[in-house]
Amino acid sequence: MKLVTKERKEYLISLSLSIIISLLMGGVIMLINGKSPIVGYGALLDGAFGSKFKIANTLAKTAPLVMTGLATAIAFNSGISNIGGEGQLYLGAFAAALSGIYLSFLPKSISIIAVILIAGIVGGLYAFIPGILKVKFKVNEVVTTIMFNTIAILFTSYLVNNPFATSDSKMSGTDIIASSFQLDKLVSLTTLNSSIYYVALIVILMYYLMNKTSNGYEFKMVGQNGLFAKYGGVKSGKTMMIAMVISGAICGITGAFEVIGVHYRFLEKISPELAFDGMLVALVVKNNPIGIVAMGLFFAAMKTGSIYMETATGIPSELVKVIQAVIILFIAGENGFKSIYINWKLNRESIKEEN
Amino acid sequence: MEDYILELKNITKKFPGVVANNDINLNIKEGEIHAIIGENGAGKSTLMNILYGLIKPTSGKIIHKGKPVKFNNSLDARDCGIGMVHQHFKLVPSFTVWENITLGVEVRKNKIFVDEKKSLEYISDLSKKYGLEVNPMDRVEFLSVGIQQRVEILKALYKGADIIILDEPTAVLTPQETDELFVVIKELVKDQGKTVIIITHKLREVMAISDRVSVMRRGEMIDTVNTKDVDENRLAELMVGREVLLDEVARDKIDSSEVMMEVKDLYARNNLDMLAVRGMDLKLKKGEILGIAGIEGNGQSELIESLTGLRDIAKGEIYISGEKIKKINPLSMRKHGVAHVPEDRLSMGLSKDATIMENLLMGNQNKKEYRGKLNHLKKKNVRSMSKKLIADFDVRTPSEDVLIDNLSGGNMQKVVIAREFNFNTPILIISQPTRGVDIGAIEFIHQEIIKKRNEGVAILLVSAELDEIFRLSDRIVTMYEGRMTGEFKPSEITRQEIGLYMTGKTLREEE
Repeated sequence: MKLVTKERKEYLISLSLSIIISLLMGGVIMLINGKSPIVGYGALLDGAFGSKFKIANTLAKTAPLVMTGLATAIAFNSGISNIGGEGQLYLGAFAAALSGIYLSFLPKSISIIAVILIAGIVGGLYAFIPGILKVKFKVNEVVTTIMFNTIAILFTSYLVNNPFATSDSKMSGTDIIASSFQLDKLVSLTTLNSSIYYVALIVILMYYLMNKTSNGYEFKMVGQNGLFAKYGGVKSGKTMMIAMVISGAICGITGAFEVIGVHYRFLEKISPELAFDGMLVALVVKNNPIGIVAMGLFFAAMKTGSIYMETATGIPSELVKVIQAVIILFIAGENGFKSIYINWKLNRESIKEEN
Repeated sequence: MEDYILELKNITKKFPGVVANNDINLNIKEGEIHAIIGENGAGKSTLMNILYGLIKPTSGKIIHKGKPVKFNNSLDARDCGIGMVHQHFKLVPSFTVWENITLGVEVRKNKIFVDEKKSLEYISDLSKKYGLEVNPMDRVEFLSVGIQQRVEILKALYKGADIIILDEPTAVLTPQETDELFVVIKELVKDQGKTVIIITHKLREVMAISDRVSVMRRGEMIDTVNTKDVDENRLAELMVGREVLLDEVARDKIDSSEVMMEVKDLYARNNLDMLAVRGMDLKLKKGEILGIAGIEGNGQSELIESLTGLRDIAKGEIYISGEKIKKINPLSMRKHGVAHVPEDRLSMGLSKDATIMENLLMGNQNKKEYRGKLNHLKKKNVRSMSKKLIADFDVRTPSEDVLIDNLSGGNMQKVVIAREFNFNTPILIISQPTRGVDIGAIEFIHQEIIKKRNEGVAILLVSAELDEIFRLSDRIVTMYEGRMTGEFKPSEITRQEIGLYMTGKTLREEE
């Protein structure tokens, strides 16, 4: 496969244009508020990449965005919309915490793998239910997965406040997991931990699965034209289910990493809508795994940088959200903008001809 | 200078990326039947839509009876006496005939209420005058396609049309209905002094009915000729821009005694859960092309989908090489050696957002040749297979990485046919192989089908084009309302006769 096809090139141009325009708009907003965009963006960049500590923070924020982005990509690519990443993440995280508490006898050599597997299975099973409802009974998965989010978040909230509440403080969280389950922090005073290696491995696996294998090909064909895939002998339902379960598993593992890598326990509001941020990342790059890594890094850098920017220059960190929203708006309108451009070019040519 | 009722002068229409009409000149004489022919994408429809006011030209003039006119919408065209019968009828199915005819230009009582009585009188006068018999009280949804077309023509006449544009009027008609339509058209022109413009791609019909023919190719007007001065081959040549062989393709004599696929008492339901196939028995033999003739919607699509595992069968059995097939789904049928060219390439035969290479891979992705140990695709083999098929089947494309969406209809169809033929299965099921395909590609596809037959493949062919059935088939079966009504050798029956079987006459009745 050629790396840069005509379509991909066009898309890269539109994406770059969208980012540039939205950054310019952000600059205009800063100007209106009497701040210098150069100072503002300087602070943003400095906040994201200015020191080892800051880079570590950015990378730590990148990892879950990339994970949930990949989870979104594989499901959407196969024509099943998993909006339930958040719920799968919560259940995966809770399962990880319970494993860390009750399976404390496991030696470190297998504990991490075990907890990843358990969280993956729990997340996958939780995605299996809306998946099977869609494939067998044609129940719209967008509706069910959104409802399943609420169920999972509230259910874990009940568990963590009642049967599994920690006794050592008043926080809504479980007990601390056994040390054999705790991943090492890579840079002290940051949340960057060794889960990033596993994330890198998962990125490679997912890239291979989606872009290089016959399964990835079937996922893509089912997503593009289900009838065509069925006609060609692909079992569309089964393919969709596999994609959905993989998606759920990745979300579950993302939750596990929040527990074993960052907090060392399950917390009631453990995810600041990580799955939804990941969905945006995947949406912007049209489910391309490499794009997800790049865009995940970009979104994470904006997040960490904006906090520093706010303290350093007084520009509110919410500005970053505006910029992200504008990027998404432009990408969503990509085709519209393209045809406006083509029409404009055509008109100009015909005017030229007439003269 | 002759008097023209309608003149198009230097009409140009540009769409993003294409010039649909380039500097078109067309003159229509009063009281003539003027055929406009051209392949798909030649710009016929665009030109007619400009003439009917649906599209505004980028530049150029329309002159009606010597006066320049500007059409901002179809009402302006109607004021000049231009009416159009679209290929896909614009009728309200749940309305009656008279309601459909008067819709938009109702006869009114006290300017508010629709005057049913007057409308009915008016319409029966109209249908008597023009010899277009209809029952104004019938609901359109219960009418046959031929009658619906009559309603459309009446609608145009009711609105005062002197120039009637017919867009592919015979595409959905039986030979009988076509003959009737031609009688009506001739009467309209001869007795009533109307002018008819007919758009078509069927050369035989052009020869049969028109006075003059205009040929379009790639957005340009190639020539306008008197029909009596040309023949079909010459017209085909003008359309395609090079010589076209419309002759028979050489057929080898083949021992076709071995039955490859047998269907016994097959029943299947359509999407509305009604029985669409009702007890079909078929024997498909080695090295023969079995053509199924029928008006669209008589169960052919459901039959094909049942035989390829895409539709559950309600009752009946399928045997391949004498073995009863127990599990019928697309994958199992493919494994049993049935390849399938579907009737609708865009909804089923292809993924338009994928590349040519990805589309050619479908069905091959799990074969050893293309899949490695870790399920990885052997891209080199896929690419070389694609390159070979693109060359063998003459797909016009700069590379195998081009998206299907960017190909013309003919080239898309070649991709489908290349993929399915490349499976080298003993059985081929082909549905509407040349629908919306240009003449050059039709010729090529027909030759490939005959080649397969000569190799000994058993081929089941469904086509709405009777010409195609006659040209390719070794044996013809007629289908009406889900049942077989007759079986013939193409040399032993005429198109007219077969038309009767397509509309319900059965062999048994005759006996």
